[in-house]
Amino acid sequence: MSTTETFSVSRPPGGAPKGTPRRLGTPMLATPAIIFVAIGLLAPLALMLRNSLNHYDPTELMVSAITPENYLKFFGDSFYQGVLWRTVWISGLSTAICLLAGVPVAYFLARHVGDLAKRMLLILILVPLLIGNAVRTSAWMLILNDKGVLAAFLGLFGHNGPLGLMYSSAGVVIGLISVLLPFMIITLNSVFESIDRNLEDAGESLGASHLTIMRRIVLPLALPGILSGSVLCFILSMNAYATPVLIGGPTFHMMAPTVYQQIAKVMNWPFGAALAFILMAVTLILTVGVSVLVQRRYRKWSE
Amino acid sequence: MIKGSPISLALSRRRMLALTLAGTALPALMPRLAHAAEGTVVVSNWGGDWNDRTVRFVEKPLLEDKGFHVVRDLGMEPERKAKLLSEKRIRRASSDLIHVNSSDAFELKRQGVVADLDLTKIPNYADVVEELKAPYFLPWLYSGVVIIYNRDKVSEPPKSYAELWDPKWAGRIGLTNQLYFNYLMMAGLVAKGDMTSVEDGKPLLEKLVGESKPRLYAAHQQLQAGLANGEVDIAINYKARGLQWAKDGLSLGIQYPEEGAIAVTFGACLTEFGPNRDAAYTYLDAMLDPTAMAGLAEASLYAPANPKAAISDETRALVDFTPDERARMRFLDYGYVAENTASWLEWWNKSFAG
Repeated sequence: MSTTETFSVSRPPGGAPKGTPRRLGTPMLATPAIIFVAIGLLAPLALMLRNSLNHYDPTELMVSAITPENYLKFFGDSFYQGVLWRTVWISGLSTAICLLAGVPVAYFLARHVGDLAKRMLLILILVPLLIGNAVRTSAWMLILNDKGVLAAFLGLFGHNGPLGLMYSSAGVVIGLISVLLPFMIITLNSVFESIDRNLEDAGESLGASHLTIMRRIVLPLALPGILSGSVLCFILSMNAYATPVLIGGPTFHMMAPTVYQQIAKVMNWPFGAALAFILMAVTLILTVGVSVLVQRRYRKWSE
Repeated sequence: MIKGSPISLALSRRRMLALTLAGTALPALMPRLAHAAEGTVVVSNWGGDWNDRTVRFVEKPLLEDKGFHVVRDLGMEPERKAKLLSEKRIRRASSDLIHVNSSDAFELKRQGVVADLDLTKIPNYADVVEELKAPYFLPWLYSGVVIIYNRDKVSEPPKSYAELWDPKWAGRIGLTNQLYFNYLMMAGLVAKGDMTSVEDGKPLLEKLVGESKPRLYAAHQQLQAGLANGEVDIAINYKARGLQWAKDGLSLGIQYPEEGAIAVTFGACLTEFGPNRDAAYTYLDAMLDPTAMAGLAEASLYAPANPKAAISDETRALVDFTPDERARMRFLDYGYVAENTASWLEWWNKSFAG
């Protein structure tokens, strides 16, 4: 046939000989992105790392030095360790609640909803993200206030005392969940959609109850997606700024606002940079650690 | 694919796209022409009401209407200070003037990013209140930290800072997080009687926090809301803020403390590396113009730094301080404040931390 002839003409047998001109391979196409990331992300990070080793002086602000004192200050001061711990547990709690609330919603969207309704519901879920972060958090301030919308609503049922939600960790968790839940639902929705419905039907035909199907078939298959959704939510809440500042108030300290305070208000760039790196390191260690653990278990399941 | 075909001179879609992108990228690669337009001045200022009043009374009538082009860089002062300090390394400043308070001006001068003023170019400077002057700073509006109280709920307000520690005010005092350094110096004033005794004041402040449990608000607006809905009856804040809240409808009284109010001065500095120095000097002189100062004093309820401001006696009695009050006013030791403000913020966070 003519096609094979053309092929045999242009491609001598035995692979490409040394004389064939090299074509730009696919890795080269990633070069612009690599350069952009290197200049825009890695170089500033390296600069900040260098800054975190400098010495802070109230009069000269930042004095060039190589000193571990900023990191030592963090590890020696229980206040900042408390701030980091508070950030970690609030992020963990928010992620866990988002997971618990997101899985049913995502599964429902993936399995039991028709196309048009699904599109509408997805848009409805994404609407909170269309409003800017600070504006949405300000709205939550009005709702969670002791004399706000929620208090008025509960007052209809006779609950008249102070709510205690503003300026507390409960309020911050509520604010964070309102931001993170859409991310979780969207991620999980696409994961559940990719799981073949036949598998669930097969399980049902073999006599499994719905709970068993979820436990033995769906969730193990969805585990990578659940992991990526949780990692996304965890990272976002570790770095949350507007919600802790506005809802938590001036006495509620979390890592990202503390970094901002150190760098912008006090002009202690070395210590602020050190705090930022510690935050990044802790986030990385926790997410990579959990990912590796879960993937190891997943491999055991699928073998 | 036809082998051996001549290179096509026709513009393929791919080539068209590439040329278009190159064309749009070209202006970014061209050298920047210096915009040395006659009479441009770049000003760094707070936003919101403060900027609205600056534009209304100073920038529009005295500069823009006279042909100057004012470019504004608006934001909170931590960002604006950080920007100026980070530009120091490249010996360039994106703004010619920066609106700051006097403590920040001292810090910026020490960092070498603001210049000493050539007073021959600012004729109005000669009239400024003596206590507010500094070689690198143009004082503009000032006020003091006073005791603001709800007139309906408090018949006998505390007459001095020291009286705030009285147990009868427990749970009724409101503070704002933005003025933490003023509260520390207030405690030092109560403890030792001078403005450099914050260390002696810290145990007193801890006592206040522990026993009287003052409410801490994030910003001035929240403190105003707290006064309005009765969460607190006493607020320790600038006199001008109290007057503004009273103008907004709250029934408030102002009590000047016996120890002397801690002063706060707002003004402007000339940046060291700013490009348009002459226009900047015109701006600085315009800030102290008596008519502009009068309008500002009436609108913002801050005291004008130029006593020649053409304000009515009524307004003067309201916003300004009597000579006796002004003599007793406590001005900050800027070096002391700059040295310690970082450690004070940490201590403040820790002592109020939840």
